[in-house]
Amino acid sequence: MRVTTEPDQPVLSIQDLRVSFHSSSGRIHALNGVSFDLKHNEVLALLGESGSGKSVTAAAVMGLIDQPPGSIDSGRILLNGRDLLRIAPGERRQLCGEEVALIFQDALAALNPVFPVGWQIAEVFRVHGRLSRSDAQREAVRLLSAVGIPAAEQRAKEFPHQFSGGMRQRVMIAMAMALKPRIVIADEPTTALDVTVQAQIIETLKALRVETAASFILITHDLGVVAEMADRVVVMYGGRVVEVADVYTLFSDPQHPYTRGLLAAQPRLDSEGSELVPIPGSPPSPAALPSGCAFRPRCPLAQEVCAASVPPLARTANTSLSACHFPGTPT
Amino acid sequence: MINETIPPEPLLKVTDLHKHFGVQRGPMGGHKSAVRALDGVSFELAAGETLGLVGESGCGKSTLVRTLLRLGSPTAGSARLEGQDIYSASGPTLKHLRRRMQVVFQDPYQAFNPRFTVAQSISEAWQIHPEVLPPSQRPDRVTELLTQVGLRPEHANRFPHEFSGGQRQRIGIARALALEPALIVCDEPVSALDVSVQAQVVNLLTKLQRERGLAFLFVAHDLAVVRHISRRVAVMYLGKIVEIGPVAEIFSAAAHPYTQALLSAVPVANPVGRENRSRIVLRGDPPSPVSPPSGCRFRTRCWMAQEICSVEEPELKHRTGNGLLTACHFAAAQANHVKAHKKDLDA
Repeated sequence: MRVTTEPDQPVLSIQDLRVSFHSSSGRIHALNGVSFDLKHNEVLALLGESGSGKSVTAAAVMGLIDQPPGSIDSGRILLNGRDLLRIAPGERRQLCGEEVALIFQDALAALNPVFPVGWQIAEVFRVHGRLSRSDAQREAVRLLSAVGIPAAEQRAKEFPHQFSGGMRQRVMIAMAMALKPRIVIADEPTTALDVTVQAQIIETLKALRVETAASFILITHDLGVVAEMADRVVVMYGGRVVEVADVYTLFSDPQHPYTRGLLAAQPRLDSEGSELVPIPGSPPSPAALPSGCAFRPRCPLAQEVCAASVPPLARTANTSLSACHFPGTPT
Repeated sequence: MINETIPPEPLLKVTDLHKHFGVQRGPMGGHKSAVRALDGVSFELAAGETLGLVGESGCGKSTLVRTLLRLGSPTAGSARLEGQDIYSASGPTLKHLRRRMQVVFQDPYQAFNPRFTVAQSISEAWQIHPEVLPPSQRPDRVTELLTQVGLRPEHANRFPHEFSGGQRQRIGIARALALEPALIVCDEPVSALDVSVQAQVVNLLTKLQRERGLAFLFVAHDLAVVRHISRRVAVMYLGKIVEIGPVAEIFSAAAHPYTQALLSAVPVANPVGRENRSRIVLRGDPPSPVSPPSGCRFRTRCWMAQEICSVEEPELKHRTGNGLLTACHFAAAQANHVKAHKKDLDA
């Protein structure tokens, strides 16, 4: 049962999400109050380095966090106005399965090695009781050819190991799009691929976005992929959102010193190699976050206040949101 | 014959290197065929120079690295480091050669013995090559090396698991420097690192090269990093170099369609103008190296392909009147096309 929402209403709203994990070395705070909205038919990029919490955010939305060792300490995840964290597991599975789809980074690990790919896509329809066995198979073939797999009828009978990395990723995309989800979460969908294949997958995702009117959450560490595909960007660091901006503003006028540092550290294909400006140090371990602003130890602007209090995500002069006590200050 | 701009005595000279791996087919093991991982690779590398090596997975980059380091022997061809043939060398000569070429691996998590302290990892090489440094000077040298790569002296007594990925890569570089090599082969040295840390390691490599006159063979799939660090770039496709030349010309005037496709496939880290950006999207995947296409290997994915491409294999040679060597029958036409396009953009 689908609920229609107004175009300006967020499709998905995450509010003050806190997730931690138990480990032998103590409690790991993976998400420390993450909030953002996903709008209708937009591509929202979650940009961050390892340990920033971007994948945990996706796992929390999909209900893939094992508890224990994980624990969702607080927050709300609103889908169509319903809080996914407070509905019965069965209901959540039904809702998430139909409305939210996930594309994993490692397609070989995500596909079942002992069943043909067509069978695995058709399984989606069988589980959700939509189609008869033969119709499901036909639909699987149609989906495979829609994501650009040649000779789809033939390839549907083949097994995952018979596909190349790019083709497997297309199978994953076909499976994700099967139930016409309203939200697609793509977790590093092109990271393991060669650039020429990455370009094919990016084109495929762009085309799907136009055809299906779905909203995408694109999880990536690659500024290039963000610049190619995203409408808005959520920059994460140390389990918090540090900047939210539309993609043009983010690249032309970044507000948070971390975002600025990231852009300066990136080698550019379109310009000659002057000296790169790295960010000193390395990303913090979620097991030992610094007090106050997590970026403080690496930040050229850091003052006493940064250690004392976590800067809230606040509107800046150029309408971005930035979690910094000194947003927009040149570094 | 390879490139006139290089001094007559290159540090590394690779000539027509082949490496084939046997593949058995059929239930009884009959009908043997071979994966031609390297199929006639030739290039030179001058002292103090960085040659970037790019190409998609399966193109033979890693086989080239392994074969050059003599971690495997070639099927045919030769490679000379400082005038010494790498593959006929044995005994003390080989030992010396191994000392002169070191490697920095991709995965800083697997490149260290977890039971060795940093100092032990770095000093281990001196036990095998004691002539490099007398034992009394070794502890001081470890301190010096760690400082040079941006770590602190007290890090010497810690274990690999106590370090982040970027720090481990620095330790890997310190270990490679311990034997005072002339050539360091960097096999995807920054691809496992976060962007903010990657820049630190790239800058470190550049600094060390400037200070010590090291030569790098820099293997990577990230073209932006390669552009940043390399003086010359070689592009490989299915076991062959299809284009090689100065970095500026590869990135602004590439004449091989594959190089052009590779460059146009890289996502640009700037959203302005993305709607109008045209991109060459190659169809399909690279063909199997067991049975590469006849003639030009790229022709099955090439939009320029004509009859001649399936009949005659294009030679790697000067075709466009600049520093590039290109293995494409239509390189000159491609170069003119690029020039015309650039003029349009300037106008």
